[in-house]
Amino acid sequence: MKTCDISPEATDLSLDSVIWDSLNHLGIGLFQLNKEGYITRFNAVAAGILALDHHGAWDDLHISKIDCILATGLADQFEDIIRGSLMFVRRNLSCTNRRGRFMVLNLLCNSIPADDKAGGGALGIVEDCAMAYQEASGANGARQQLHILSEVAAVLSSSFDLGQILKVILTGATASQGLGFNRAFLFLYDEQNAQLNGHMAVGPSSAEEAGHIWKRLDSMRLSLNELLDTHDSDADGKTDALTGVITGLHVNLNSDSLISSACKSGTWINLETVEEIDPVTKTFVDTLGTSRIALVPMVSKGKLMGLLAADNYITQQPISDEAVELLQALANQAAVAMERAKLYDAERERAQQLEQMNIQLAESQDQIIKIEKMSVIGELTSAVAHELRNPLTIVGGFANLLLKSNLSDEQREYLNIISSEVKRTESVVDHVLDFSRASKNESRTLEFSALVKQALELLQGRLRRRDIQMSLSLAPEKLMVHGNQDQLSHAIYQTLKLVAENVIPPGSAEVRTECKDERANLLVKISCPDADREKTVKALQKTFADDKASQRLTVLVAVETIKYHGGDFGLAAGNDGLPYLYIELPLIHEGYADATHIDCG
Amino acid sequence: MQRILIVDDEERIRLLYQKELSRGGYEVDTTGTGKEALEKVSKGKFSAVILDIELPDISGLEVLQKLREIAPETPIILNSAYTTYKSDFQSWLANDYIVKSSDLESLKLKIRQLVDTR
Repeated sequence: MKTCDISPEATDLSLDSVIWDSLNHLGIGLFQLNKEGYITRFNAVAAGILALDHHGAWDDLHISKIDCILATGLADQFEDIIRGSLMFVRRNLSCTNRRGRFMVLNLLCNSIPADDKAGGGALGIVEDCAMAYQEASGANGARQQLHILSEVAAVLSSSFDLGQILKVILTGATASQGLGFNRAFLFLYDEQNAQLNGHMAVGPSSAEEAGHIWKRLDSMRLSLNELLDTHDSDADGKTDALTGVITGLHVNLNSDSLISSACKSGTWINLETVEEIDPVTKTFVDTLGTSRIALVPMVSKGKLMGLLAADNYITQQPISDEAVELLQALANQAAVAMERAKLYDAERERAQQLEQMNIQLAESQDQIIKIEKMSVIGELTSAVAHELRNPLTIVGGFANLLLKSNLSDEQREYLNIISSEVKRTESVVDHVLDFSRASKNESRTLEFSALVKQALELLQGRLRRRDIQMSLSLAPEKLMVHGNQDQLSHAIYQTLKLVAENVIPPGSAEVRTECKDERANLLVKISCPDADREKTVKALQKTFADDKASQRLTVLVAVETIKYHGGDFGLAAGNDGLPYLYIELPLIHEGYADATHIDCG
Repeated sequence: MQRILIVDDEERIRLLYQKELSRGGYEVDTTGTGKEALEKVSKGKFSAVILDIELPDISGLEVLQKLREIAPETPIILNSAYTTYKSDFQSWLANDYIVKSSDLESLKLKIRQLVDTR
């Protein structure tokens, strides 16, 4: 490794060297960079500030390797100066050098022309004004603190978004225009498990990253208010990376620890000044990578909301109790805002639920009105149908009686027409009466699968006689629907009966109920050998889709019944080319008063 | 000869049934009221009663109950334009339930089954 052996006194005793030496007495550091960016000359003050080693590795003297320069984010600007840019001046730069010395630097850099005897490069003047800065800060402290808190409070009070509030808290804690901590960590309180859970963090993870971030923020020249208002996670540092450090970190508050004590008592702890740390707190600070950290509970109206932790991991600036007190003031405001946001969320959720229930109630009312109308229609048709039954019996009965006497062919033909037309009309009356009978019953909550099972049981005798099998597969969950039991039973029974009539014996059909998309579904599918496929398809289509089919009235009544109950009825194409029949009805929760739809996942 | 009593408020229904059952070899008596039906059964023996439910004076179901007390062994077939009464437990007292139809074959079959098996 190439090493250097440079000392301030190594140069000749020219006017130049007198100037270099005199600046030491003024506490001003002076250093020179060659055109490659290496520090080739420096006085004693500069050596102290930049932590330069006269006998160290040559590479360590490159300006981009100096920690405190890196942390200020100015390494690139030094490079620009060497390339001939105009000089720059920076004031009040907080940083820590590699020996852990915290400083507030005033820094000036200017380029050296290439035709100078030094051969180009740059000259830097540096001053550590930490003491003076702290004194000045102290003088303006109260005013500054009030300003910071009022700006943060203004932003917090305008938001009900919990995520936004959390970001504002962390930004307020870390922004140089705010409390100026290097990193901040937010832990939320899980009341159920009595523990703190790592939630979100802001800040750089290395000096180099800090340099980039702070340089960018510096160039944006935002006020605290503007910075808080942006809520830009990138502006605050690599949120994701640092958040990853605390994600999954839980602190049990039932343990006997400093953290637990701080949360229970609602008082802050500055671990910088604590000598002995318990194991729980030790694990906590080890995870964060520093024990020089402030822990501030977030409490609103005596209720713990979380914990805010902040440190100066990059600059290593000592954390004063005054700074922690200010952090506590911020945390208190934040806790109130968090509680308000949670209440707002809960209220909003309740409002949404109420709105949803109102919509469902309106839908239910529409449905009830329809069913009531059906009931009135049912009573009317029942009366008409009954009045028709007797005359039909008489006309048809006497026609049949006459057919048994001696008649001419023409007379017999006409009487047969009368008889068959009467039979057809009687069939219509049967359907109308069955339906109107169903209309008289009131609507209530029903279990859909039970209706299907009952209908299939009623069909068993008919199925046996025709040598037809109908298998039944019921949904494992209860499928609660609302409606008129007789109407729905009638519609399901007639549908199954019509499907069964389309099965070519000895054949089979599969009847299945299931829950899908908040609907109770009935699927009826015929199985048949390939030879019967075409015939079966035609028969099904004729029965359920042909307006002139003899069973048309039955199908119409079933379709209308299902539709009046908010459902759907139809014939759909199956994957195997055979159509299947479906009936869908909207699901409700058990206890219809709530009329809340079920999520059947 | 087997005697059948037809109870129906509709005169032409009574006439139709009478004609049809007479052709089948039954002796048929008819009435249009529940009260007269009870009197006829009290006074004479019938092989079966065909009973309408919608009667002008007494409900057919009430008549059915009383007939069961007067003549417990007499087969009774309820004959109605409605299907609703099938689910009324009172109708279970009847031996059978036939919905009115122009096709009288099922009615005649029921009568034959009930009368001839006794």
